[in-house]
Amino acid sequence: MKTVKEISIILGLSIVAALAVNYFSPSGIALVGQWDTSQGVVTAKEKNHIVIEGVEIGTVDLARKMYDSGDYIFVDARSTEDYEEGHIKGAWSIPVGQFEDKIAAFLERYPLDVSIVTYCSGRTCEDSHHLAEYLMELGYDKINVFIDGFPGWETEGHPVE
Amino acid sequence: MNNFVKKFIDNSWIELAARWFLGATFIYASYSKILAPAVFAKIIYGYALFPSIFINLLAIVLPFVELVAGLALIVGFYPRSAVLIINAMLLAFIVSLSINIIRGHEFDCGCFAINAGSPSTFSGPLLIRDLFYLALGGYIFLYRNSRRLCLYSN
Repeated sequence: MKTVKEISIILGLSIVAALAVNYFSPSGIALVGQWDTSQGVVTAKEKNHIVIEGVEIGTVDLARKMYDSGDYIFVDARSTEDYEEGHIKGAWSIPVGQFEDKIAAFLERYPLDVSIVTYCSGRTCEDSHHLAEYLMELGYDKINVFIDGFPGWETEGHPVE
Repeated sequence: MNNFVKKFIDNSWIELAARWFLGATFIYASYSKILAPAVFAKIIYGYALFPSIFINLLAIVLPFVELVAGLALIVGFYPRSAVLIINAMLLAFIVSLSINIIRGHEFDCGCFAINAGSPSTFSGPLLIRDLFYLALGGYIFLYRNSRRLCLYSN
């Protein structure tokens, strides 16, 4: 009995502290996240939630149509190694972690009114959303996020290199 | 049991060292998870073991259980109960790791530093490390002499 009481005290303190910190912290998360890949990109739903709804391209077919139209620049948000191993044919590489270094060449080449599609490694990856957000901050406003990313594209047999 | 070994494990300084080591390990382990709960939640999701509805709650609460139980061990606040909680967590980690090793599921353990996107393909050493911590935890739990530097012990 004594042990049960002591354990309850320690766990109780932990739970109260956890919920309080999560409530006040800017990096706190929702009590229930979005973990269903059929609903889009999975995310814990942070307070400064980066998944931008409304810009997501929900199917590989739609992404392929946009690709074929030739009106969109595809930008790969994954690491350089992943990009080199294989990427959507013709895509630019701007790894999210190296955004500052890689963006200058992109800015020089593409004016702010181009249409962009970002992607990463599918629905468990938020990098394409981060990249879209960074590009938007620079002033690119026509941005879509292809949430099935490279794995979805490759599985469907679309052009890679 | 060998007399020397018995003296060693009955020594209150050894118990204190074990308690501080295990406590500090858990406090250290909680640190980056508390700073980035969203990243930790995604790591839990990556284990592919828990129902979606509990993932965020686990990500919010578990690091604080590690922190509070670790602190409790160090300051000697109900140390036997604190180490029981720590042993329960270690058992849960060992079971989760083992399930994923057995079914060959690639995942990021998220044990200490959380850097999502680097699935660890070789989890054997993690398992051995957790078993070592569990042995320490077992020792602290079973220790019967009086404990040094404790706020509330009995």
